[in-house]
Formats: sequence, structure tokens, C-alpha cells
Amino acid sequence: MNTSLPGLAERASTTADNFEPLFWYIVAVTGLGTLLVCGLLAYCCVAYRRTARGPVSTPRILGSHRLELFWTVTPLLIFLTFYVWGVWVYDRAVQVPPDAPEIFVIGKQWMWKAQYPGGQRVIIGGNPANMTEEDRAHIGALVLPINRPVRVTFISEDVIHDFGVPAFRQKIDVIPGRYVSTWYEPNKLGVFNVFCDQYCGTEHSLMVGKIRVVPQDEFDAFIQGKGGAQGSPNPVDGSLAFKGWQHFQRLQCQSCHTPNAASGTNLHPRAPSLEGLYGQTVPLDGGGSAVADEAYLRESIVNPRAKVVEGWKPVMPGNYESQVTEEELAQVVAYIRWLKAGQMIAPNDRAPAPYGAPRVTTPPAGSSSGGKP
Amino acid sequence: MSIIIADEPRAFAPPPPEPPAPARHYLNNAYGVWSWLLTVDHKRIGLLYLVSLTFFFTVGGIAAGLVRINLLGHNAEGHILTDDQYNRAFTAHGVVMLFLFLIPSIPAVMGNFFIPMMIGAKDLAFPKLNLASWYVYMAGAMLLVWSVLVGGIDTGWTLYPPYSSRYSHTSVTPGVFGVFITGFSSIMTGLNIMVTIHKMRCPGMTWGRLPLFCWALYATSFIQLLGTPVVAITLVLLMAERVGGVGIFDPAIGGDPVLFQHLFWFYSHPAVYIMIVPGMGVVSEILTCFSRKNIFGYKAVAWSSVGIAVVGFLVWAHHMYVAGISYYSALLFSFLTMLVAVPSAIKVFNWTATLYRGSITFQAPMLFTLAFLVLFTVGGVTGLFLATLGTDIHLHDTYFVVAHFHFVMVGGMVLAYMAALHFWWPKMTGRMYSDFWSRASAVIIFVGFFLTFVPQFVLGYHGMPRRSPNYLAEFQVYNVMSTAGASILGFGYLLPGIYLTLSLFFGKKASANPWSATGLEWQTPSPPTAFNFERMPVVVCGPYEYAIGVDQLGRGLPEPPGPGSADDPASHDGPTGPSGSRNKETEVVG
Amino acid sequence: MSASTHSPVLKHHFDNLEQQHSAERLGMWMFLATEVMFFSGVFVAYAVYRYFFPGEFQFASSQLVLWVAALNTAFLITSSLTMTLAIRSAQLGDRPALLRNLLLTALLGTAFMGFKAYEYATDIGEKFVPGAMFRQELAEAEGPLAGMSHEQAARYEFPDHHHPAPWAQALAKTNAGKQPGDAGYLSPGRVELFLCFYYTMTGIHGVHIVVGIGCILWLVQQAVAGKIPRENYSTVEVVSLYWHLVDMIWLFLMPLLYLAGAGLARH
Repeated sequence: MNTSLPGLAERASTTADNFEPLFWYIVAVTGLGTLLVCGLLAYCCVAYRRTARGPVSTPRILGSHRLELFWTVTPLLIFLTFYVWGVWVYDRAVQVPPDAPEIFVIGKQWMWKAQYPGGQRVIIGGNPANMTEEDRAHIGALVLPINRPVRVTFISEDVIHDFGVPAFRQKIDVIPGRYVSTWYEPNKLGVFNVFCDQYCGTEHSLMVGKIRVVPQDEFDAFIQGKGGAQGSPNPVDGSLAFKGWQHFQRLQCQSCHTPNAASGTNLHPRAPSLEGLYGQTVPLDGGGSAVADEAYLRESIVNPRAKVVEGWKPVMPGNYESQVTEEELAQVVAYIRWLKAGQMIAPNDRAPAPYGAPRVTTPPAGSSSGGKP
Repeated sequence: MSIIIADEPRAFAPPPPEPPAPARHYLNNAYGVWSWLLTVDHKRIGLLYLVSLTFFFTVGGIAAGLVRINLLGHNAEGHILTDDQYNRAFTAHGVVMLFLFLIPSIPAVMGNFFIPMMIGAKDLAFPKLNLASWYVYMAGAMLLVWSVLVGGIDTGWTLYPPYSSRYSHTSVTPGVFGVFITGFSSIMTGLNIMVTIHKMRCPGMTWGRLPLFCWALYATSFIQLLGTPVVAITLVLLMAERVGGVGIFDPAIGGDPVLFQHLFWFYSHPAVYIMIVPGMGVVSEILTCFSRKNIFGYKAVAWSSVGIAVVGFLVWAHHMYVAGISYYSALLFSFLTMLVAVPSAIKVFNWTATLYRGSITFQAPMLFTLAFLVLFTVGGVTGLFLATLGTDIHLHDTYFVVAHFHFVMVGGMVLAYMAALHFWWPKMTGRMYSDFWSRASAVIIFVGFFLTFVPQFVLGYHGMPRRSPNYLAEFQVYNVMSTAGASILGFGYLLPGIYLTLSLFFGKKASANPWSATGLEWQTPSPPTAFNFERMPVVVCGPYEYAIGVDQLGRGLPEPPGPGSADDPASHDGPTGPSGSRNKETEVVG
Repeated sequence: MSASTHSPVLKHHFDNLEQQHSAERLGMWMFLATEVMFFSGVFVAYAVYRYFFPGEFQFASSQLVLWVAALNTAFLITSSLTMTLAIRSAQLGDRPALLRNLLLTALLGTAFMGFKAYEYATDIGEKFVPGAMFRQELAEAEGPLAGMSHEQAARYEFPDHHHPAPWAQALAKTNAGKQPGDAGYLSPGRVELFLCFYYTMTGIHGVHIVVGIGCILWLVQQAVAGKIPRENYSTVEVVSLYWHLVDMIWLFLMPLLYLAGAGLARH
């Protein structure tokens, strides 16, 4: 972890790039002015200090209209340059480009939730104690594509929060009862902090989140639910793969398609593991092979006896077609596409096996506890 | 360039003889607790405020200490307070320091004490109202203290709903009610001072001859009078919403929490000028006295106080640029804020010019004043970052803001309060304090202050939010620096508590005019008698005629305390000694 | 400023009576400025919401008890007259008239508060109070109208004209068959918002009336004790300035709150 601050704070968006020169300009001008005043004060204190007990003699100077005018108008003009440049930066920071895609961010005590146009949901960050167990498994980041403008619309569920991103050099108060919007165009890859910048209660300081700026293809993968980009391993909430995952659990597929032995479980599987299956070539019972693509997966669900993987018995129930709609099938397939090694959850009390299904199987004598994929 | 001088210097009158120390002055003309608690003497009331303010400054300081110690650790492992306790601590610090210390500070202590004396009056216009203002202040303060003791509030001093009206589980209503009550004290003091300055000036004391301290307090009173009632009604509405469960800031019924912010800041921005303008008045008094020169640009300095007061009412929404105000509102308020910065700049330049070709000595009042000039300048220019829209959208609600307002309120106002205390202490108490320790404490406070708050500018630029007990590890080193500075600052504050108290018992007796100042308040004995002046003073000239060596009554000035008599300004050569005023040449600059 | 020429009413810190009276008057005018600023906060807030929610505010205003407000206005204006007459009596040194006028003013102020109390009791009895009472009463009125179209509901006669309260009946009928966002729909929350203003503004004003009555009674006590001779009439003047301001505030407050829905039918 980086435990020191760089001299110049990291910049990651167009607004930040607009901010920086203005900030340092004001530093330079006000710094000069301050040094001037302090210098004059120091000079006067040294040059005009009373040194001896001689007669104290000072001139009777009452003022100067010209000087007053000078040091009224000059500061005013300087301040107005700050104003004009500041308006220029502000204008570009808050005027949202008209056709930028919109992401919703919701603030509540003490976490941030984001929702994408396709329905994907991510927890950007916050206090884990305030999240449901499910939410905690979804803590990720606000994933944004690089070099693309995006509109973010905010609302609060309770009190006033503030979504502040130092790397973007801007923030916006998040209010209950009213949508407010701003926009970002990130121009640097990486992970950046989000702070809540309006005091909102006890754990205000734990309302910290992350923004992850990724290349466009990674962003597209994220939108499709491939997960990972948002920082948590689960399929992105709201995506196709996520919905497929819910059907997968509803149908209790994992009671037989238990996780790969290599992933650390010691259950002898009754069915091939599905982790990392998509795209593999599988040997079929009776010769030949098939590529595990969407069509193969769909067929394997609705007509499991059509193609049986070599080394496995044809025991998969054949009535799933009546239990899923076509749309749901597509979601399950999307989930299996997403599944990688180590990602499947073993059967447990939250997702028990159906009545009559084996819960625990003993490995056959002499074989390792793993099965073929 | 034309530098204005007025008429030819008139021949000065001889300096007044040292008035005999009166047997009975305002401190010993009546004894007993009731003579203090039922007094209507403005001087005693000023001291009542002084005692209360010192107490509440200590309370607020302890809260600050807790906050800074807690910030040594960046997460729960390094904390001494829970997050909830921390939130109550910083709220207590803000509320106590602002409402119980800074807002009354100079007006209630030095304003009460010296306004009548400076204008040649026997008392303020409404002495009983004055006493009532102290009782109202104490009532509100006691209610606040009580609410702190039963757990405190955790909303921040800004009290934004819906958190404060609906979600906070702390004693918001008693605390807010306490603040509400102290507001009335502020209004009473302001009203009293304004009427006094209007109606009770002695003959010859025209507006153009008023000490700039009076101009500053007049401007402050204007703000107190017109601004405080707005926060009063805002707090009433907030309390009604919290107690009644429904109110006008509640989004559930169509209310707008941002409306609270508008109403709140409509007072609270002018309030910060209530806090700083009296300090500016003090600076004018001390700079002139310790450089033995007229103020440069009397009219500019006088009118700039009024300008700050008036324009200060037009800029409140610069606290709300990102709060949900419209684009054009933001543009307007940023522009107006640029305007309000100008009078303060004018003052700083005028003060600096006052030092030019002066004859400067560096006793404690002057050291505090010079520290004010440096720290207020830094504080003021950092305000420009926040006035500018393009930078405020990043710096808002970060430690940059915290550093900015501490620079102006502590580096500015608290130092001015210290300066005023040290300047007028001999007059109020009749005693001198240790010259060495007072100068030392000024230096220590200045150094400690710098170390405490400069790192916070860095933190703010990097985005560390305010009001955050938990922060990222990379911010920790600056927080540690800041806490280290705070401990030096705290030590610096302790010193005056010690040597000023000791001076009451062991200090040298002060003469009537130990600093050789020109104001009317110095033409009375130290301490003054009950009715200030033996006979009605008649003012014949302006307030800062140091160059020609006359006070406002036209008499000469005693020998100013110079180098060599560091610890004992009360003893000096007479007017005919080697540096006596009779031997001074007056130089007129063409 | 020698003591022997002091008037007994001259306070010790003033040089002469003229300075004293002038200072007292200025002080009171400044205090009035603070009162104006105090009320202006809530007036501005009211104006903002009135601008944004005209329909709801007009409706709510039309449901207040107007005749009490009218009567109270008459009381207050008359009391300002009697107060001014009191100043005149003090200037003339006419103590009985002074006492009479002061007591009349106090009486009119008390009548104002009495009728105000009656008005509040009526409103509270009708549950016309923001919060749980309001919502419950409205729910009771909406119950019978559930599922009806707007026209059906308009023709519906509640069995009891007073329960649920007439305002609830009117509001329920207005909103029957409509969804939030439809033309003519009145958001109940915003009606509650108006009521928040109503109670806060009239309540704070009432507090000021009570304080004013207290000051007038103090004046009575002072007059009885002989402390208001002809030279000191300005004490009466100063209190009257306060009383007139409180009256003036009512003259702004009353139309804003009670006449906002002037065109609408009342119950």
C-alpha cells in the first residue's frame, strides 16, 4: 500500500487536467502576493525598529488616494482572473455532454451503489457492516471506460452525502428527493478513490469507494456480466450471468455439478465440473468430441442424453426444459460461460440438494478425488 | 504619488500629569459576588464575559485536543475515541468555539469595556440590557454544555438536515436551543454598541475621529443585528422539524434540505465577518501605537469594515457551490465573493503602509498583531481558492477548507483577541504582565499554529475529506505533523493563562498610559473609575496623532515604551528627558 | 451634568433626557429590524414553496378558519389605535386615559390570542396538523373512495359531513381517480408542508403577541407606580413601536396564509 503522498496528486480525468493549471496559477499569484506582504512587513520591522532611546520621530503620513486606488483595483483585477478561469473550468466540469450514457449512483448510510444502463449493479464501496451479506459479496468498483464521457446521476436514500473523486478533481452533493448529475471523462487507467465529502453520520469516513477505469473491451466484458472488472469475483449483479447464477441455484445444478476437485473440495462429483468448461473441447462417450459452445450447453440442459461426456454416466435429469424458459436458458448459459475455476459454490444449507439427490459421495477406491472436467 | 498630510502640526500641549491612582475604581468600589452578578457597569460586564469566554475556550480547546489526538491514527486501531465519539468531539469543538467564544470574543469583552471609554461616555446606552446579554449568553452556554455532557451532538456545527432533523440520535434539540439562546446575546450586544456609537459620543468625537476599533465594532454590530435573527428562525424551524417529526426541510413531503443550507449560510457567512472584523479593529489600534504613526488611509480602513459587512451578506452560497444550486447562482455568488475579498486586501495593504517609516517596538501586543497580519493574509488568500468555482469543486469539504478557516479564525481572530487582551490588560486590571513570557508565548503560538495547519492544505489538495476519523494511510504523516503542531499551540495558549493570572497578584502596577497611546480610554487611570471620566472629555483631533504626539484631547503623550525598558514600560523618563516629547522633531513628508 | 438638575427619569449614564429618549427610540428601531429579519427567514421559505406548489398551498389555505383570522385582524388594528392613543395620553400626562388605553390594547391582544386558541383547537380537532394525524385522517377519507373514478367520487356523499374532516373529504375527492403527476392532483405531503408553515408562523407570531401583552402590562404597572410622567412618555412610545411591528407582521402573514386560496370553495 502506498503510504506516502506524491507531490502532485494523481489526475485521471479531463476535469482534473483543467483544474490543475488553474490551481497552481492561484498558488503562484497568491503566493507571490503573500510573500510580498510578508516581505514588506519584515522589511519595515527591521528597517524601522526603534533602536536607541533617542527621540522617537515619525513622519505624519495620512494616506494616498493613488495608492488606495492602486491596491483596490489591482487585487480586484487579479481576483477576476481567478473568477473567469474558474468559471471556465467549472463550466466544463458540470455541463454534461448531451448523449453520454447514464449511470445511476445511490448513496445511503454508509455505502454507494451503482446501477448501469443494462441493469448491472455494483456496490462501489462503503461500510461492510451496513451491507447485506449478499451486498458484501458484491463490493467492487464503479467501472468506467477510458476516454469516454459518462453521465452519472445521483440520489440519496437518506441524508445528504457527497460523491468526491480527488483524482477527477470534483465532487457533487448527493441529495435525498432530487436527482443531481455530473459527468466524467476519465483519461487514465487505474483505480481511484471515492470519498463521501458531506458529513452524513457515524461512519461517514468509511463511505469510501473505488472507481476503476478500464479499456473499452474490458468495460464491455463487464457490462455483459463477465465480472472481475468491478473488483469482486462474482458475476456482476443484474447482468445475464448473474441471473443465470440464480437459476443455477434454484435448479440446484451444483448438487451434481460440484466444484472441480482441484478447487479444493473433496466431494466426488457425479457430473462433470462446469468451471472453465466454456470453449473447451470435450470427448464424447462413444467417440468424437464437441466444442462446449452455447449450442452445446443449451442442448446439454434440455436434452442431456444427446451428448454424454466420456467417462460419465447419463444420469442427468431430462425435465429441465419444462423448468426454464428460453430466456432463462440463455441466462444459465451465460452463467456457465462466466464460470471459471474456483468460482462455483459447493452445495450447502443455503442451496441444498433436492430430495433424493446424493449429498455426499465417497470416491471410488484407488482413484483420486478429482474427476475429469 | 501624493501623500496627504493634513494641516500643519499644531504646537503640542504638555503631556498630562500621571493621574493619581484612585482609591476607588471599578474593581474595588463594591465587593461581593452580587456586586458582580448584578452589576450594570460595562467594565465589570466585560470581565464577566472574559471569565466565561476563557472557560469556554478551554472547553473547545480540549475538544480540539481530542480530535487531533484521535487523528494520529488513521483507522480504529490507532484511535482513542470511537467514530461516534469523534463526531461528537468535532461538533462540540465547532459549536463551542464559534458560538461561545469567537462570536462574542472581542465585542463582548473589549467592545463592552472600551467602546464607552473610547467615545468619552460613562457607559453603554443600555447597561441593563448589557447585563442581560451576559445572562442570556450563560443560559444558552449552560444548555449547550449540558447537552454536551449528556452525550453531545454529532451533526457538525452546520447541522444540515435531514441528518440533524431525522437521523441523528444525539441531543440535537437542546444543543440547538442553546445556540438559539446565545444568538440573542449577540443581538443585544450588537444593538447596544450601535446605539452607543450613534448617540453617546462626547463633544468633538465626530464619525471621522472615531478610533477604527469603533468603526470595526460598528460594522460587526450591523452584521450581528441583521444576520443573527435569520439563523434564529432557521434553528427554530429545524427544532420544530426534529421535535414534530415533520417539517419544511423534509423531502418526503416536498421540502428541500438545501433550503436549510441557504437560510443557515445567510447568517453563518456574515457570522465569520462578525468573528474577524473586530480583530481588524484591534490591529488598527495596536499597529499605530507600536509604530508611532497615523493609520495609513483612515477612511479606507473605516469604510472597508462597512464594505465587508454589507457585501458579506451577499455571498452566502459560496458554501454551496456543489450543494445543488443552479449553474447561474454559482456564477453569481463566485463573482460577489471576489468583491468581498477586496476590502480585506485593502486593509492589509494599509496596515503594511502604516509601518512604513514608523518607529516600531515589539512588545507582546505588537507581536500578536504582526502574527495576525501574516496568518490572516495566508488565510485570506486561501479563501480565494474556495471562492473560485473551478478549484472549489475539488477543495470543498476537504482539509483545505479546514486549514483556510483556521488560518483566518485562529491565526486571525484568536491572535487579535490575544493582542487586544495584552494591549488593554494594564487598563483593565491596573497591572503589567511579564514582557518576556508574553513575547515568548506570541512566538510559540505562531510557530505552533503554522505547524498545525499548513500540512492540512496539503491534505486538502490531495482530497482528504473533513470530519473523518478514518482516513487513508497515505494521509497519516501530515496528520501526525498537524497534531504535533497542535500540542505546541496548546502549550502556547497555556502560557498567557499563567502569566496573566500571575500578573493580577504580582504584576507591576500599571500607569494610566503605559503604551503611550492616543485613545480616550488611556486618559483614565488604570484601572478606571466607575464612570470612566471625571469630566466630559472634549475631543479635538483624530485618533492616531502619534507623529505629532497628541492624544485625542489635545494633550501630549508620555514617553512610549522603547527598547531598553523591556520589562517595565511603566517607568520612563518624563517629557523633558532625552527622548521626551518636548524634544521631538516632527517631520512632514511632502 | 450636575446632579441637582437631574430629572428623576434621567438615567445616570446619559447626559440629558433628549439623548436618553433618542437612544431608546433608536434602540427599539434596531430591535424591530432584527424582528423583521427573524420573520423574513420563514417568509422567504414560504414564498419559495408557494411558488413551487401553488395548487396544494391554495387548497390548504382555503381550509383554514378564515373568519377567526378576519376578526383577529380587526382586533390587532384596533389595538394599534388604542396603543397610539396611549402615547398621546402619556404625552398629555393623563394617567387615567393612559391606563385605559393600555388596558384596552392588552385586552384586544388577549382577545386575539383567545380566538387564536379557538382556531387552533378547531384545526387540531379536525386533525389538520402535519404528521401522523393528517395522514390518518386522509386515509380514512380515501378509504370509501378507493377504486372510484374522479366523477364518481365527486358525486359521493360521506355519511357524516364532519368525520372524516371536511378538508380530508375535499382532498380525497380532489385526488380520487388520479395519480401523482396528473393535472389537478394535490400531493398530500405538500399540503402538510403548508401546514408546517401555518403553525410555525402563526405560533411564533403568537409568542410575540404574548410578549407584547406582557410589555403593555409592565407599562401599566409603571404608570400606576407613577414612573411615566409627561417627560417620560417615550417609554410608551418605544413599546408601541414593538406592538405596531407585531401588528404589521400579522398584516403580511394573514393574507399569505389565509387568502392564498381565496378563489377556492371553503368548507
